[in-house]
Amino acid sequence: MRLKPAAFLPELLRHIFKKPATVQYPFEKLSVPGDFRGTPVLKPELCIVCRSCVRDCPAFAIEITELSAEEKRYRMIIHNDRCVHCAQCAESCPTKAITMNNEFEIATDSRLKLKTEYIYTRPKKATQQSTEK
Amino acid sequence: MKRIKIPVGPQHPALKEPISLRMTIEGEVIKDADIRLGYNHRGIEKLAESKTYIQNLYLTERICGICSHSHTTCFAQGVEALLGLEVPKRGLYLRTLVAELERIHSHLLWFGIAAHEAGFDSLFMYTWRDREVVMDILEIISGNRVHYAINTIGGVRRDLDNSQKGRILEGIEFLKKRTGYYTNLGTTEPTFVARTAGIGLLPKEKAISLCAVGPTLRASGVPSDVRKDDPYAAYSELPFDVCTADTCDVLARVVVRVKELIESYKMIEFIIKNLPSGDVKVKAPRRIKEGEVVSRYEAPRGENIHYIKSNGTDKPERLKVRAPTLGNYPATIEMLKNGYVADIPLIFAAIDPCICCAERFVEITDSRGYRNIITMNEIKRRYPSRHINKDYIWPL
Amino acid sequence: MAAVKTFLYLFVYPGILFLFVYSTFCEWFDRKLYARLQNRIGPAYTGFAGILQPVADFFKLLFKEDIIPEKADRTVFSVLPVVGLAIVITAGLCLPLWNYDLDRSSFNSFQGDIIVVLYLLGLPTLIFFLAGWHSTNFFSTIGGVRVLTMLFGYEVPLFLAVLSPAIVADSWRLAEISYFYQRFPFLLLFQVIGFFVAVIALQAKLERTPFDIPHAETEIVGGTFTEYSGKKLAFFRLMIDIEMVVGSGLIASVFMAGFSGGLIPGLVRFIVKTLFVIAVLSIIRAMCSRIRIDQMVNFSWKYLTPFAVLQLLISIFVKGIIQ
Repeated sequence: MRLKPAAFLPELLRHIFKKPATVQYPFEKLSVPGDFRGTPVLKPELCIVCRSCVRDCPAFAIEITELSAEEKRYRMIIHNDRCVHCAQCAESCPTKAITMNNEFEIATDSRLKLKTEYIYTRPKKATQQSTEK
Repeated sequence: MKRIKIPVGPQHPALKEPISLRMTIEGEVIKDADIRLGYNHRGIEKLAESKTYIQNLYLTERICGICSHSHTTCFAQGVEALLGLEVPKRGLYLRTLVAELERIHSHLLWFGIAAHEAGFDSLFMYTWRDREVVMDILEIISGNRVHYAINTIGGVRRDLDNSQKGRILEGIEFLKKRTGYYTNLGTTEPTFVARTAGIGLLPKEKAISLCAVGPTLRASGVPSDVRKDDPYAAYSELPFDVCTADTCDVLARVVVRVKELIESYKMIEFIIKNLPSGDVKVKAPRRIKEGEVVSRYEAPRGENIHYIKSNGTDKPERLKVRAPTLGNYPATIEMLKNGYVADIPLIFAAIDPCICCAERFVEITDSRGYRNIITMNEIKRRYPSRHINKDYIWPL
Repeated sequence: MAAVKTFLYLFVYPGILFLFVYSTFCEWFDRKLYARLQNRIGPAYTGFAGILQPVADFFKLLFKEDIIPEKADRTVFSVLPVVGLAIVITAGLCLPLWNYDLDRSSFNSFQGDIIVVLYLLGLPTLIFFLAGWHSTNFFSTIGGVRVLTMLFGYEVPLFLAVLSPAIVADSWRLAEISYFYQRFPFLLLFQVIGFFVAVIALQAKLERTPFDIPHAETEIVGGTFTEYSGKKLAFFRLMIDIEMVVGSGLIASVFMAGFSGGLIPGLVRFIVKTLFVIAVLSIIRAMCSRIRIDQMVNFSWKYLTPFAVLQLLISIFVKGIIQ
């Protein structure tokens, strides 16, 4: 093993007039890949309230409450402040009602702003099947 | 010369996570060293007992931010063994692919940190710039840069298409060139070699008797690697060598890691070219019948062990994690002794410490079954006495 | 008139104001070049291309909380940064810039001012040691001891290297040495070894990588400056910047034929030549890792000093031939 003083010098000097590798983030953004795991969003018309997302979520970030039993109205709250972005809900969902979008700049000054609330009526079996087709 | 005690940590620029190294020094020479843990205990094992197996996958992933894939794989392997599941070939190959990409990112990160600890900031900047390539590859494959969440019980969650394969090969080609350059640089730049050669000596016998693991052990000339000794996932079919070095110092640890990078590139190219077709996962039942299992995995830092005990429900009764860093602590003390103060950060960084991962709660009971617990009242009583009396020594 | 000139000399150019502005510019230049060598951007937002960043840092530090350790010697602890700053500014006044006359010695240009500059540049080391010692912090104490240990390494080669051009020029006055080499520029070719020895020793004096041992961040936290904060730290940082300017100015006036031509051409020459020296310093900083204190002393006595002595012998030889 021979030592070479100033072994790094050529590499350093080569880069003086090159474009820096830094991306000046807030001003220029890199694109995220298409199947990036961003924020979970619900398509309420597809949800059949099977609650498998609630059961599988490791961060207990999804909450479903029944508003009225005869009208079949439900409220789902996705707590994005608790979410760990694992996309297990999207995978567990049998109707693909939850999907992950490309949103990654989700920082806010309040937890409450991260909470998304969906109030919806559970679709009837027939419409459910038609959307599946 | 007078001996003084200097505290390195829990808060110190050389340490990225809290741990306390107490050094007894004489001038610039370390005479004695002591390690105190427990500044970052998170109660993950207890938490795992209240979550289902699926949820625990994501919990174990968060044991470590750098070797996140190693913990999930280790856990998933254990659960699959308990269930007696046969994971499809393609799933195993993809798991191995992510594992090797993770090893590349971890080793490049470590190389940068080692350079930074030695005060070589330019090398640090360059390695981390190149590490972005592998981070981007991981993001393309899994959808996230840090927590890949690619594993599920019974396989992997995402498949690979041809455009992704092309991107991976492109990135690996670039990294191969850069790694060659860094190998050259790391072993010939006089100031860097002067800082790493001959310090933190850990002879072969000591390394074995102190139970060192991973690259630290292999740098002492012991060819021990779980991937070879007890192959899991697809490793039994991959061509690779166990990398060792025999100078037993920090430079040897650099060399071992750089060699492993090159082995990883070889493996990834093999995986991409010989990816079997078929499914990537099989469906796993939610409940697991009673049983226990020990799962081993070669993480970038060394051997990672998960012990899982199931009791017939959908939640584990006990999950025990032995992170590789814990196995390297006794060896670190041996390495630090008779070194220079200037070498503390390098020697400690050379084991690639991941401190939070290794924090476990130990309850000490004496022979009569008396548990030494400090009550809240006791802490309240002690705190003011320290506040009033400046020379009060905090009991540890 | 003379009083106004002296006032201008002390406070405007090349006194406090000029040194402040130029040293912050040099810090920016150093940071920017260091960043570009590492394929980064460096300071970018304050002023044009971040040129005001060091000034912004300085004023930000001025308004930060200023903490004095309980067990530290309050007076010494507080006085050291100001004294250090005064010392390096005084050294800066002795550089042969603008207001000097070859025929007539004045208060800032006299026989032996090269020794005075070297002496004044040696004092900051003592200031750093005292700062470390009086902080009564383990890390500071270790840093302070390392400062002194390093002093024994680099001071001798620096003196030998800087004095050898003076021997050829047969003068102990910076202005005359510069004037001599302006007349015989080819003689500078014999001083190349000395130039590099002096630059490396200056790097050690300024405590920059690979010689940033006394305040090695990853080893002993902030070293000598661990306990310093707020105004005092701001003054220390300014002091190091001015020391860098004065040190590179000294090397430029001794090895690179000085800054002749009056006010404006002299200023331009000064800026170009010192920036060249600072660029060399930055490149050295970028291409090395920090070495250990024993390796540093070893290096300076095994390599640096012999080369400085060789340079001295060459100078004596050259002088013999000239005469």
